[in-house]
Amino acid sequence: MKRKFKIFRYDPEKDRKPYYKEYEIEIEDGWTVLDALNYIHWYVDGTLAYRRACRSEICGSCAMRINGKNRLACKTQIKTLGKGTIKIEPLPGLPIIKDMVVDMDPFFRNLEKVKPYFIKYSPLPEEEQLQTPEERDLINEAAMCILCGACTTSCPSFWANPDYLGPAALLKAYRFIFDSRDEGGKERLEIINDRNGLWRCHAIFNCTEACPKDINITYYIKKLQNLAVNNQF
Amino acid sequence: MIGSKSLVKRNKGAMAWFLQRLTAIYLFVFLIAHFVIMHFVGSGEVTYGTVAPRLSSPLWKAGDLLFLIFALYHGINGLWQVLEDYIRSRGLRLFLYSLLLTLAVILFTVGAVTIFSVKA
Ligand code: SF4
Repeated sequence: MKRKFKIFRYDPEKDRKPYYKEYEIEIEDGWTVLDALNYIHWYVDGTLAYRRACRSEICGSCAMRINGKNRLACKTQIKTLGKGTIKIEPLPGLPIIKDMVVDMDPFFRNLEKVKPYFIKYSPLPEEEQLQTPEERDLINEAAMCILCGACTTSCPSFWANPDYLGPAALLKAYRFIFDSRDEGGKERLEIINDRNGLWRCHAIFNCTEACPKDINITYYIKKLQNLAVNNQF
Repeated sequence: MIGSKSLVKRNKGAMAWFLQRLTAIYLFVFLIAHFVIMHFVGSGEVTYGTVAPRLSSPLWKAGDLLFLIFALYHGINGLWQVLEDYIRSRGLRLFLYSLLLTLAVILFTVGAVTIFSVKA
């Protein structure tokens, strides 16, 4: 079956402006958008740039905008995209390096701000620290994040203000603040309780819709807002 | 893991967020009460004669004053949140902030004068 792809192209070193280029290729049943991009890159146009690694929804490299929605190219079956031309663009809200390759630095800088690692002040335990199933349930979903960036780059608050921590960083903060083994909750809450942190979330839900891991990000941000407000009294 | 003890001291947006919701509840309840009282209780006639006695009672004056304060807070705070999203230059922010505050003071004065001057 033949399918048409309309792909965003931009090489800041050569092109004055971004443009779209169409490719029509023969696709096989079961192909994902990443398979199609690979085909184009290998056999049609070697200048096409995009990120990929694991091709199995775990590395988070191939997040891009497909038919107007942020998703992972490797998770998106072509046959779920209807009949028309498939439009592929980079994640919005980040500087473009080339084609679908965006500069993820702003995203990771925001992540760094929330201290995305275990903090332990009491003496390190001799053996692994156990959690009860209930304790684990609190963070299980939030810990599934693969840091693909689909959520933060779908967030209008982030588009308007790149200083906003964004859903991915806030989710990471939640993941540690609500972890029974972590001891850095207080300092993390201090960091995210900021006008460019928690309070820039206006519950637009774009992040939750975009997340390829189906994490209910908005819910966890609301949990953090709740915690922050309770701590005021 | 942290408990719910008072850890956060500086106001960095948490209070504005909380008060926005608190005032919303009052506005909502007040609106419903207004609707019921104006349209379903009493004669349904809206004249000075029917409205003034109610508005001149101290209880109503207090409720109205609270409504005025909360509505202004809710509206101005909401507008400020939107502006803060999009306007990032310090100067322009300061200017708009003062503009909003001035607007709030003027509207409050007009509203308060109206509330206090009603006599049966
Ligand atoms: S929360 Fe979901 S969308 Fe956001 S970075 Fe993690 S996996 Fe990607």
